[in-house]
Amino acid sequence: MSDEYNQKNAPLEAQSSDTISGTSGTPSKDIDYVRPAELPEQDLYHGHSFITKWIFCQDAKIIGVQYFLTAVFTGIVGLVLSWLMRLQLGYPDLVPFITAEHYYQFVTMHGMIMVVYFLTALFLGGFGNYLIPLMVGARDMVFPYVNMVSFWMFFIAVCVLMASFFVPGGPTGAGWTLYPPQAILPGTPGSNMGIILMLVSLSLFVIGFTMGGLNYIITILQARTRGMTLMRMPLTIWGIFTATALAMLAFPALLVSCIMMTLDKMLETSFFMPTIVQAGEVLDYGGGSPVLFQHLFWFFGHPEVYIVALPAFGIVSDLISVHARKNIFGYRMMVWAIVGIGGLSFFVWAHHMYVSGMNPWFGFFFATTTLIIAVPTALKVYNWIITLFRANIRMNTVMLFCLGFIVTFVNGGITGIFLGNVAVDIPLSDTYFVIAHFHMVMGIAPLMVIMGAVYHWFPLVTGRMLSEKLGKWHFWFTFLGAYSIYFPMHYLGFIGVPRRYFEMYDSPYVASATGLNEFITLAALIVGFSQLIFIYNIVSSLSIGKPAGKNPWKANSLEWLTPEVPPAHGNWGEKLPVIHRWPYDFNVPGAKEDYITQTTPPSEVISAEVEKT
Amino acid sequence: MSDNSLNNLPGGFKGMSHDMGSDQTAFKGVQWGKVMMWIFLLSDTFIFSCFLISYMKGRTSTVVDWPNTSEVFSLHVGGVPVPLLLIAIMTFVLITSSGTMALAVKYGYEKNRKMCGWLILATAIGGLTFVGMQVFEWSKLIHEGVRPWENPFGAKQFGSFFFMITGFHGTHVSIGVIFLFIYARKVFRGDFDNGKRGFFTTMKSDYVAIEILGLYWHFVDLVWVFIFAFFYLW
Amino acid sequence: MHPGIIFLGVVVGSVLFHIYTPWWWTDIASNWGAMDDTINLTFWIGGGVFILVCLFMVYCVFKFSYKEGRKVEYKPEDHKLEKILTIATTVGVIALLAPGLIVYNNYINTPKNALQVEVNAWQWGWQYRLPGEDGILGTAQVAKISDNNPFGINLDDPNGKDDILIEDDVLHLKTNRPVKILLRSLDVLHNYYVPQFRAKMDAIPGIITYYWFEPNKIGEYEVLCAEYCGVGHYAMRAKVIVESEYNYKSWINEQETFSDLIAKQENNKLKKILIVKNND
Ligand code: HEM
Ligand SMILES: [Cu+2]
Ligand SMILES: [Cu+2]
Repeated sequence: MSDEYNQKNAPLEAQSSDTISGTSGTPSKDIDYVRPAELPEQDLYHGHSFITKWIFCQDAKIIGVQYFLTAVFTGIVGLVLSWLMRLQLGYPDLVPFITAEHYYQFVTMHGMIMVVYFLTALFLGGFGNYLIPLMVGARDMVFPYVNMVSFWMFFIAVCVLMASFFVPGGPTGAGWTLYPPQAILPGTPGSNMGIILMLVSLSLFVIGFTMGGLNYIITILQARTRGMTLMRMPLTIWGIFTATALAMLAFPALLVSCIMMTLDKMLETSFFMPTIVQAGEVLDYGGGSPVLFQHLFWFFGHPEVYIVALPAFGIVSDLISVHARKNIFGYRMMVWAIVGIGGLSFFVWAHHMYVSGMNPWFGFFFATTTLIIAVPTALKVYNWIITLFRANIRMNTVMLFCLGFIVTFVNGGITGIFLGNVAVDIPLSDTYFVIAHFHMVMGIAPLMVIMGAVYHWFPLVTGRMLSEKLGKWHFWFTFLGAYSIYFPMHYLGFIGVPRRYFEMYDSPYVASATGLNEFITLAALIVGFSQLIFIYNIVSSLSIGKPAGKNPWKANSLEWLTPEVPPAHGNWGEKLPVIHRWPYDFNVPGAKEDYITQTTPPSEVISAEVEKT
Repeated sequence: MSDNSLNNLPGGFKGMSHDMGSDQTAFKGVQWGKVMMWIFLLSDTFIFSCFLISYMKGRTSTVVDWPNTSEVFSLHVGGVPVPLLLIAIMTFVLITSSGTMALAVKYGYEKNRKMCGWLILATAIGGLTFVGMQVFEWSKLIHEGVRPWENPFGAKQFGSFFFMITGFHGTHVSIGVIFLFIYARKVFRGDFDNGKRGFFTTMKSDYVAIEILGLYWHFVDLVWVFIFAFFYLW
Repeated sequence: MHPGIIFLGVVVGSVLFHIYTPWWWTDIASNWGAMDDTINLTFWIGGGVFILVCLFMVYCVFKFSYKEGRKVEYKPEDHKLEKILTIATTVGVIALLAPGLIVYNNYINTPKNALQVEVNAWQWGWQYRLPGEDGILGTAQVAKISDNNPFGINLDDPNGKDDILIEDDVLHLKTNRPVKILLRSLDVLHNYYVPQFRAKMDAIPGIITYYWFEPNKIGEYEVLCAEYCGVGHYAMRAKVIVESEYNYKSWINEQETFSDLIAKQENNKLKKILIVKNND
């Protein structure tokens, strides 16, 4: 960054590239210089009544918690649905009320809830809202009012979704991909009110999310505090930022496909509907293209995978760095990898459609782009483990979850290479191999990060620590349980068991797999119930947890450096913080402590041999 | 913005990379609201692109022939069918309203309350005229038997895409018109001069809001040009 | 117990599971052995990476767990290492992709001597149509389907007259002759999938999709629908019987052609009229 403007416009530079070595003379005010503030103080609305303070609240931190709780609630619904499905698969006929219709409704609602209403809302709405203003040093999101509306839109979307459980015909059973023509024809459960409510709910979600997303992006781009350059932001912020940008460009495709499908259903247009003969009758449809829907859906759907994954990448990088007491290895490469993966993710969507009957020549292109994405992704994995090398690793619950993430993510990433490589995908697509793959990589791995992040930031949000002992139990049950659900499940896919099968009957493939299915179901139940430990831990720690005090993990990033813990409305008290370095200065040679916070000016740690930023 | 160090920023690509590498803001001196509108419009562009790409796909893959658009959309003036007449007027009106909007922004920044307000009103009336003509066009087609689910002139997707896309665009215009009227009132009342706080957001009013609304209006205009090209000229 | 041991156990357990698993793919019965080979290749390279990454992680966990005052390396970046890793990964990825694309190229290019078989899917069942002596399938349209014309064959297309119609879900194929499966659907998406053949493709209403394979092992195979198609999806099974040329011939000779069907229906109509007349 040291270009010619350094000299010409000296006061403009944040001096971000200066190397400050321990031997370069006496401390002076000069090396602490940070450009003056460009922006006036943000004008904040302070709620006074209970309603404006806690319900229609405009404080991003509380909105974040609201998002978090709502998303967790839907996640629990999704989890319970998964138990019912697993019971049916492991012990058919054990639960008499699970019919094929119900099974497919459970599959659909489970998939949609987990991907959209749970993970997306949790990472961006929950962590995004809480962490962005704190980590970039803003007082709040740039448009607090819009942010509040965003949450309530999400809330309504969830209500509409849940309402579909109670309408005649029940929720849609079209599979979370909602492929037409099946999704809106009578052969599928919930093909009347169910599918309509699903489409409406998704549209509301998109609208609400857009409001929040604009906030996240602009807060990160335009409301950072003095000294906070883009390349000094924690990777958490980079992950959330890129994911939000993806969402802003990917959700439009979802919205459009929802609108078109709603019209196909309600006005009998034929966007996605070709001529169809059902039960011996020619329907009123004709001339539409079902594959078009798949293209639109996956143009949204694939980036959606990264909307979930990128924040997880970012957060886990920060957790690893803090708890390994070492800078994240290759920060700049991590940033470029996040941005690069985000960009590339718009060019790989048709790898979900290798056997969809699209033009077969697309296969070459999309297989190539898909495997190209593997490169930056692999680099990120290398960087995480290199960060652990020659570090000083605290083996606490947070770190355990990070390690669990690495194992499950690498596992799921590698099976992703199977499915991305078109010739390998042909035998495996639409089998349990796919189910195992995506649960490992976008179900379990991000969940590991979420749980790690809760253990990490709980002290910040509530001022109390979670119990380490319960945390470790929770981790081992969840990690080992989830791994033993999904690792063996790949082998069901090898046998050839197709996904979305209510029952296999006595097919020759599965005779051998009955025991395996029972085992998986048991593991799933154990994993599910072990979440009670987590919930108990959270609830009890709220009142009996050890008080955390300030910065209990000795982290560097800004969110821990607020004057009050937990941070108050407006975050920073009188004066905004001023940033002098990146958030990864752990164990800098020559420094007295093993961490240097982002707000520490160079003159205070004059003997530290800081290498960059 | 009060900081005059923003005055001697480098320009061009160097400037962009400088700004990106600097602290606080990535777009120097650009208000939050304006960045928001730009990014929203980018997202909206994707929506319209998805619609139009679906339209292209739908049109090229129907089994029944697409209707001859210059006939379907023609107006009969004294018994002679004039293709593109209505649409030419609509386009003209909308583009003109973009011009008045641009002027309104200029007068707004000059704190010329009266001119600004009248020009916003003019823009709003332009938009209203456009919507009105669209209603006329819709009712004409409906009268002739075109419906989202059927079309006497050929492929039924014609009606579906036409009503859906122009409807979606028309909704954009209508929302714009509503805001234009609200803003005209705020301008005349002097809200932007005395920084009156918004009813919902409780944020101070500022003339930049007019520019932001202008961005939206120009965008809606631009989209219309594409819809025009794809539906009427293809 | 040190947590590293458990992580080590997970890695070792995964490898052991893989070695001793009783669950593995069904014996292949088609020419697509190359797909299995690419899977195996991916397994070796991918599995190797998984093991290496995890072992390195476990090593770090053992070696560098927290000790007050441990000396920690401070090295934000290492361009040489990053470059080596990038290049190594790229090479690995190319090694996986290239063979995959070659196999795929074979998959989408059907050999000339392939026998055509049209698979008709509906909610929820299958039926087949084979070209007659002329070797060409007549054109067909979903909208023309009726009780008298279950495949919707165009009546004025002469190629369709001798088409062999199989209104049953059992398909016979002869060994060592490539088959091109042409997929049609009357209503929603389906997918004609026989695990032993490895190949699959969706059937889409409105268009015809295809794939090919060469069955090379005599036997009976179960067909599974592999694209969700509504409540009956899981029950949408069928059967393929791969048999010798001789058996195949005798099977196909018993099947009805479209003209047979039409003739039969005319007959029936006549009969009905006769019956009606007789009753008068
Ligand atoms: C331990 C927790 C979980 C269990 C036991 C579980 C179990 C299942 C089961 C049994 C199916 C249906 C498979 C089939 O019949 O095809 C399924 C589908 C699915 N799950 Fe999960 N799941 C869990 C967590 C998650 C999470 C965290 C996600 C978030 C990404 C997720 C996303 C999905 C999706 C997208 C589908 C596909 C739905 C469809 O086929 O339409 N699941 N899961
Ligand atoms: Cu994808
Ligand atoms: Cu099916």
